[in-house]
Amino acid sequence: MIILGSNSEVAQAFVEKALSDGEKYPVIYLLTSHRETTEKFAKHIEVKFLQNSEIIDLDLMKEIDFSTLEKVNSDLLFCAAGFLGEGTEEALYDYKNSEKIISINFAKLVPVINFFAEKMERQRFGTIIGLSSVAGDRGRQSNFIYGSSKAAFTAYLSGLRNYLFDKKVHILTVKPGFMDTKMTEGLPLNPKLTASPKQAATYIYKAFKKQKNVVYVLPIWGLIMLIIKIIPEFIFKKMKL
Amino acid sequence: MKKNFIQKVANWGNFPVVEKNIKSEDSLSKIQDFVKNNNQIIARGNGRCYGDASLSDNILSTKRLNKFISFDRINGILECESGVLISEILEVIIPQGYFLYVTPGTKFISVGGAIASDVHGKNHHSEGCFSEYLLEFDLLDEKNEILKCSKQENPEKFWATVGGMGLTGIILSAKFKLKNIETTFIRQESLKAENLDEIFEFFENSESWTYNVAWIDCLQKGNNIGRSILLRGEHVLRHEISEKNGENPLKIVSKIQPKIPFFFPDFILNSFTVKIFNWLYYSKQNRKEVKQIVDYETFFYPLDFVHDWNKIYGKKGFIQYQMVIPKEKGKEGMRKILETIAKSGNGSFLAVLKLFGKNNPQAYNSFPIEGYTLALDFKVNYNLKNLVGKLDQIVEDFGGRIYLTKDAMSKSSLTGYLKNVENAKFVSLQHKRIMNGGSINKI
Repeated sequence: MIILGSNSEVAQAFVEKALSDGEKYPVIYLLTSHRETTEKFAKHIEVKFLQNSEIIDLDLMKEIDFSTLEKVNSDLLFCAAGFLGEGTEEALYDYKNSEKIISINFAKLVPVINFFAEKMERQRFGTIIGLSSVAGDRGRQSNFIYGSSKAAFTAYLSGLRNYLFDKKVHILTVKPGFMDTKMTEGLPLNPKLTASPKQAATYIYKAFKKQKNVVYVLPIWGLIMLIIKIIPEFIFKKMKL
Repeated sequence: MKKNFIQKVANWGNFPVVEKNIKSEDSLSKIQDFVKNNNQIIARGNGRCYGDASLSDNILSTKRLNKFISFDRINGILECESGVLISEILEVIIPQGYFLYVTPGTKFISVGGAIASDVHGKNHHSEGCFSEYLLEFDLLDEKNEILKCSKQENPEKFWATVGGMGLTGIILSAKFKLKNIETTFIRQESLKAENLDEIFEFFENSESWTYNVAWIDCLQKGNNIGRSILLRGEHVLRHEISEKNGENPLKIVSKIQPKIPFFFPDFILNSFTVKIFNWLYYSKQNRKEVKQIVDYETFFYPLDFVHDWNKIYGKKGFIQYQMVIPKEKGKEGMRKILETIAKSGNGSFLAVLKLFGKNNPQAYNSFPIEGYTLALDFKVNYNLKNLVGKLDQIVEDFGGRIYLTKDAMSKSSLTGYLKNVENAKFVSLQHKRIMNGGSINKI
């Protein structure tokens, strides 16, 4: 298993879910820009599941040295790298913030996924799980920089799924709604619509096992986004969402 | 949406509810920033203390300090971060033939909380408090420095921190010794006691058992006062096990857990329903003595079976009142306490009686002293303050004291027993209330 964005609580919960389900991996590659916290996680799974892992530094905001990724091979890639940034109101015109959001969620991320997709295409086997977001389903004034980067990512995953279909590589797009993580701590989220990382991991793991294409976490978000998507634009543009 | 870390927070009793700055961090540097930038800080684990102990103006939640660090499977020594819950530890250690030496009646407490409360279990008389098995911990102190504390290294800080209610700093991680078990089953005997004399006799005759605890019906009056059931238990050894359980003697028990979905309306729990509950519980067992083999979940964590059971007490919440009265005056004190409760009609669903053994004099901040301890749940209502006042008076008259982990309104002469914990950085609402000498929690 390869984890892209190993500091993510959802990614960590996914690893734990797979391991407690009895899966064993020769090694789990933990790609991260946060070595300190990822080291703790590596020890954690070693203690809990006797699972080997290897940490590889990867900062999407810096030049990526692909030679460090040559030896990284697996039939499962879980991509949780992402950056929420500040809300639109504070930071719409802060170009550094916008650039970072677009880079980490899409522009710099895609080449890394492509690198592994190519390996999977060659071995004609594998699954890529990508964490996108419900924010990508329609641009709303509250966070459309983040939302549009996730929309691009969703479209990318959809295309990749289509492209790799006859090469026996499967792509799972995950669209989380509200999540109770470090990234969202302090936000006033409705608890009924909010998934814990553990809950999310369970949904994602099930979807992975069933070879689903696109899943919402929690499932209720599928319905919410359907409604948001069908609102006609001339009404939508006047709404405060 | 804007971030706002000022949030409503309450511990397990849902009383008091306060709006305070609460933040969780997963890295040391961020925790140090939090400590640097704030005063009046307290650490909070899983919020399973009952009152205002882990509340303050600035709360550092340890819920993201949830990683295991090391596990010596040969010598039975586990090290983990302070936000790891006992429930998570059991999943890892049980299959390896280990259990915790000391566990309270819920497995949903954090390791940091276990140290700060120096928790006790049904085996206090035989095996003491959590601190007996604690080897070392890392403490972020008031100078914002990490201090390794053990019985040899920084022993002053070690002993001030165990039972110190988080007032000496933030416990970051801990290392402790585990208990060998051959199976996860408990050989349990339940003995029915008609009254207080009988239950005290049972306790004193059961001191050789590792685990002892009694459930007591606190609404009984007159001759029936102290009507109760004593449960005593021992870990089942490999050769004592039946064939059915023999295949997997170290099995993790996971039960389907019903949830209480919402706060029950106030009228549901009253002295009438409590009487029915108590009657059912007591009558469930026909014979004087029942022997059976039960799994560890049933024996140690019967309440964990129902998630969010605290909501049964309604929105206003409840308090748990746990006191200890020295052994020699135990019976007389308990009789007075039980009479007072029965008279008040403020029935407690779950009244638990236990005999504590000798305390470890080094662990001077720990609650247990040799004697009888009773834990009661009371729904918060306007009469409660009055009842607690009366109970406090009895506890004081008999030279007892109150468990801080449960306390939300007791008098400071019974709760002000902590030593060497004062500093400018860490303080809880509870500690402030106690130092002010009165109750600030409004009903």
